[in-house]
Amino acid sequence: MHTTPTIFAHDVHKSYTTGGTTTPVLEGVELETLPGECVFLVGPSGSGKSTLLSILGCMLTPDRGQVKIVGQDLARLNDIERAVLRRDRIGFVFQRFQLIRGLNALQNACLPLTLRGVAPRPAQRRALELLEAVGLADKAKAHVGKLSTGQCQRVALARALAGDPDLILADEPTASLDAQNGQEVMRLLRHLTSERGKTALVVTHDSRIFAFADRILHLDAGRIAEVDADHPPATAGAVPVASS
Amino acid sequence: MWSLALRTLIADRGKLATAMVGVVFSVVLVNVQGGLFNGLLGKIGLLVNSSDADIWVAHKYVHNIDFPLDIPKRWMYRIRAVPGVALAVPYVIGYGNMTLPSGGFEGVVVVGCDRKSLLGGAWSMDQGSAAEVRQTEGIIVDCFEEAKLEYPALGEVREISGRRARVVAKSRGIVGFMVNPYVFTNLEQAASYLRKPADRCSYFLVKLRPGADAQAVCREINRRIPEVDAFPSAEYARNSIDFWLTRTGLGISFGAATMLGLLVGLIIVAQTLYASVLDRLSEFGAMKAMGASERQIYGMLLAQAITMALAGSLLGLEVVFLIQRTFSTPHAPIVIPWWLSLGSFGLVLAICLVSSVLPYLRIRRLDPAIVLRG
Repeated sequence: MHTTPTIFAHDVHKSYTTGGTTTPVLEGVELETLPGECVFLVGPSGSGKSTLLSILGCMLTPDRGQVKIVGQDLARLNDIERAVLRRDRIGFVFQRFQLIRGLNALQNACLPLTLRGVAPRPAQRRALELLEAVGLADKAKAHVGKLSTGQCQRVALARALAGDPDLILADEPTASLDAQNGQEVMRLLRHLTSERGKTALVVTHDSRIFAFADRILHLDAGRIAEVDADHPPATAGAVPVASS
Repeated sequence: MWSLALRTLIADRGKLATAMVGVVFSVVLVNVQGGLFNGLLGKIGLLVNSSDADIWVAHKYVHNIDFPLDIPKRWMYRIRAVPGVALAVPYVIGYGNMTLPSGGFEGVVVVGCDRKSLLGGAWSMDQGSAAEVRQTEGIIVDCFEEAKLEYPALGEVREISGRRARVVAKSRGIVGFMVNPYVFTNLEQAASYLRKPADRCSYFLVKLRPGADAQAVCREINRRIPEVDAFPSAEYARNSIDFWLTRTGLGISFGAATMLGLLVGLIIVAQTLYASVLDRLSEFGAMKAMGASERQIYGMLLAQAITMALAGSLLGLEVVFLIQRTFSTPHAPIVIPWWLSLGSFGLVLAICLVSSVLPYLRIRRLDPAIVLRG
C-alpha cells in the first residue's frame, strides 16, 4: 500500500540577496519522511536549517523545486491556505518555547485548538490529556512565568500535539534545556510522535539526543546527506550542550 | 479568542494601566469640558428657560436676552388680542449699580416682572418667597452672589442707581452668564432703578391658551406688530446661545480644548497598544506560525481595544461624576446630559479602534519565520 510522505521536498533551492549579493542557501534539497518517523536535521550554523524548516513550515517559499506537506503541494496554496495547513496539520516546537505570557499552561496548550475555533471545554479536555502525557497535569493552571524551562518546553510540546498534527517541526527543542531536561523532552517527543504515528523533523545541534532519531540528515553547502545515527561525524555540526 | 485577548491584555498590567490613563483622561476631558460648556449654555438661556412663559416678544433688532431694546408697553394690548394668547405681560431687564456697605458699587442686572402674575420672576428660593417683590422697594438677590454684593442681609436697605432697594428674599443658584448678579423686583421698581420711562419695557412674556400653536401665535404677533419678533421660549433661548457662540470664540475654544484632549488620549492609547505589540512580537509571530489568521489577530487587537474603551469609559465616568459632585456650582455648572456620556464612550471607542490599526499593520508585516531564527 502506498503511503503519502508527510514531507516531500524535491530539488528545493533558496537563496537570499543582500546588498546586491545573492547567497545560495539551499541547492537542490531532497527530503522525504514517512508517518511515524523521527528525523533529525543537523548541520553547521548558517547551513540553511532554519530556512529549510521555514519552507517546510509553509512560512517561506522556495525559489525552485517542489514541496508537498501531507500530500499538499505548497506552490498551489495561497497565504491563507498555507496558514490553514500550518494550523491544522503542523505542530511547532520552538527553541525559545514561544509560550504566551498571559496564559497558564493549559491555555497555552489549548492555543492551536482555540485558533481552530474548537469550543473551550473539548479543547481544554484535549490539552489536559496532553499535559498529563508530558507529566504536567498538576501544573495545568500554573502561569507559564512560574514554570521551569524544562516544564515550559514540555508545555510547548503539549501545545504542538494539541491539534493532532501530522507533522511536528521542532527547532532546537533542547537548546534552552539542561542535559536531563533535554533527554526528558526528547523521550516524550519520540514517544508521543511514535505512539500517534506522527512525523517529527527535529533541527538540533545536541549530539546527546541523536539516539532518539530514526534518521539523521546532515545539511551542508545547501544539500542534504544522510549520516549514520550511531556514529554521527563531528562535521554534522553536533556540539556538546552544557549540562547542569 | 476574546478570552485570549483579555488574558494577554491583563498580563501586562503596567501597559494596561498606562493605556487606561489615556482612556480615562479622554473620557474625563470630554465630559467635564462638555459639561462645563453645556452648563454655560444653560446659563445663557437661564431666564428664558425658567420664566414659565411660552413666548418671548422682543424688539426686532434684539438678538440676545441680555441686551434688550425698549418697546412701548401699549403693544401689550395688541398681543393680548391675538387668538391663543392667555396672558401677555411686560418684562424689564437692564443694568444698574448697587451701592455696597464698603462705599463701592456693583453692577447688577435688574429684572422686573409683573406684580400680579410674577411671570419671569425669581424661582428656586433660599429665603422668603418670589412674591415678596410685590412689596414696595423689595428686591431678591441670590445667595450665590452674596460675596459680590458684600453679603446683604434680609431687610437690609441698599440703593440701586440712587433709588432705595430693600432685600426681601433670597434665591438660590440663579446665576446668569453675565458677570453681574441678578436682582429681581417688580416692573415699576425696575423701571425706576433703570431710569426707564413708565410706558416702556424690554419684553412681553406670553402665556398661551391650552392647545394653542406657539409658532402660529408668533407669526400672528409678528404680522400685527412688525416692529417686534416673537419666538417660542425654547427658540429664543437658542437664539441667545447662538449669539454668544457665533459672536465670540466660545464654541471654538471649548471645542478645540476637547479635541486636543481627545488627540492626547488617542496618542497615549495608540502608543501603548503599539508598544505592547512590539513587546510581544515573537508571541504574535508564534501565533502566526501556528496558523492564526489575520482576522484572528486583528480580532484580538480589537477585543483589547474595545475592552480598554469599555473599562476606561466606566472608570472615567466614575471620575467625571465625582468631579461633577465636587466642583459643579451655579457659577460654573457642570451639566452632563446622558447623550454626552454616551457620545464620549462612542468617541473613545472610535479612538481605541483607530489606535488598534497601527499595531495591526506592524503585525501584518511580521514574518512568522522570525520565531525560527533563534
